[in-house]
Amino acid sequence: MLHYLKVWLASARYSIVRTLMFRGDFFVWSLVELFWMVVTLLTIGVIYQHTDSIAGWSKYEMVLLVGTSMMIQRLLMGFFWSSLFEMGRNIRTGNFDFMLAQPGNVMFMASTRKLDPDGLVNLVAAGAVVIYAAQQLQLEITVAGVALYLLMIFCGLVIHYSILALSISVAFWLANAQGLEGGYFTLTEFSRLPKQAFTNLATRVILVWALPAVVVTNAPASTLLHGFDHTWLLWLVGCTIVWFGLAVFVFHRGLRRYSSASS
Amino acid sequence: MFSALEKYRYAFLVGLQSNIVYRWNFAIRGFFSLFHLAAIFVLWTAAFFGRDELGGFSLNQTLTYFVTLLVLQFFISAFNEDYQISEEIRQGIINQFLLKPINYFLYRFSIFVAARLVSGALVLVPLVIAMPFVHDALTFPAEPWRLAVGLPAMMLSAMIQFSIAYCFGLLTFWFLEIQGFVILSMAIETILGGQMFPLDLLPTWAYQIAKYLPFYYQMYFPAAIFTGRLSDGGAIAEGFAIQIGWVLALLLLNHWLWLRGLRRHTAVGG
Repeated sequence: MLHYLKVWLASARYSIVRTLMFRGDFFVWSLVELFWMVVTLLTIGVIYQHTDSIAGWSKYEMVLLVGTSMMIQRLLMGFFWSSLFEMGRNIRTGNFDFMLAQPGNVMFMASTRKLDPDGLVNLVAAGAVVIYAAQQLQLEITVAGVALYLLMIFCGLVIHYSILALSISVAFWLANAQGLEGGYFTLTEFSRLPKQAFTNLATRVILVWALPAVVVTNAPASTLLHGFDHTWLLWLVGCTIVWFGLAVFVFHRGLRRYSSASS
Repeated sequence: MFSALEKYRYAFLVGLQSNIVYRWNFAIRGFFSLFHLAAIFVLWTAAFFGRDELGGFSLNQTLTYFVTLLVLQFFISAFNEDYQISEEIRQGIINQFLLKPINYFLYRFSIFVAARLVSGALVLVPLVIAMPFVHDALTFPAEPWRLAVGLPAMMLSAMIQFSIAYCFGLLTFWFLEIQGFVILSMAIETILGGQMFPLDLLPTWAYQIAKYLPFYYQMYFPAAIFTGRLSDGGAIAEGFAIQIGWVLALLLLNHWLWLRGLRRHTAVGG
């Protein structure tokens, strides 16, 4: 465990030094992510100019939900996105050989090679959105409530990581298919919506029950809004275990098929 | 005159072939777009719950707007033309165009038209599959004039889309990496182009400002004509005048950037 922590810290140090070398890039990318967050918030603002509620959620409840979704996404972008995106490309080109020669579990090494400080910087902005919404809603915040919320955010991060790793692992089977990571972004679109909005049976079964798109954000946001509910917690933890297990299984099955491209 | 254009016909045909090679990428993109459409249906159905109209339009009119936008996107949007142009400048591929009697803008535009014909045709496949589910929600106005007016607006929108992408591509003469600028601009285009919500839902003052920006004419303007969100003849005529103005302004900017950029360009090798 300590060995992996040391490896991760070395990768993180390398990424931060690299970021400091390309400060302009860091600034532009931080701005890019911030702009996209503003786009989402503006959309909510415009819709709520014409209505008071979306599926029973008021404006600031919705902002809190979207802020939660942003937090999980920023964490994923900061810690895993670059590494996983590069993993797909390396599988296709055969450069993944490099990862096989690393001192540790291949999935861990391939997932944590790079850190994106711009994603983590915007985590602060996403956190500020959640705090602002909580203030507007005059929520009673307790230490236990915040701890539970953060635990749920962590579960959400593991689920998002698993979905992205699964999408990328498809490259082991379909070397020519690009843009599969789009599957992850598609799913995050649904995670900005309240569970109650899925009234149609098909969308409810697929997106609420079968896929973890909705539970990831609705569980922590509802916990903050309405207090602890064991159903949300059990559902979220269950999803975390199942989806992470599935991602690990599929990745290792795919790894067996990897045939390299070097001599 | 026509013989001078012959070379662009060949560029178009080559573009058609090379884009058919990427049919799976377009198909995957089209497939994921359906999920995006599903998210829009869920969100707006919930927003309309308990009310007949929002901003003066019904739920079905709003959903029709988003379906139209999706189709338009595959027919007229610039996908990765900016990156392609950027790569050609960075790798020195444009050097060959500097030595031949071919206009680089027209060459790239011919390939863009070919690419959009392929992606536009491919989005129809997932759309046909989705039709049984979305059919009941679609409600297009019956006036035939909308087609006659909307199609030229759509062509001009394609020119604006391409010209903006071309400008970003040319920035490579000054900056090594343009991806950040492109995605930054994409965020602005997404909101001011009406992709997140119909622009007429903006507060009046914001809508009035948006009307004078090029993003309004990238997608919203033809979509609003096709779906009945714009009906006033005077407003449409004014829209056309502004749209043509932006096309001309962007073409001039393209030309200026190309000339200024070439002064900075260094061709290496024999």
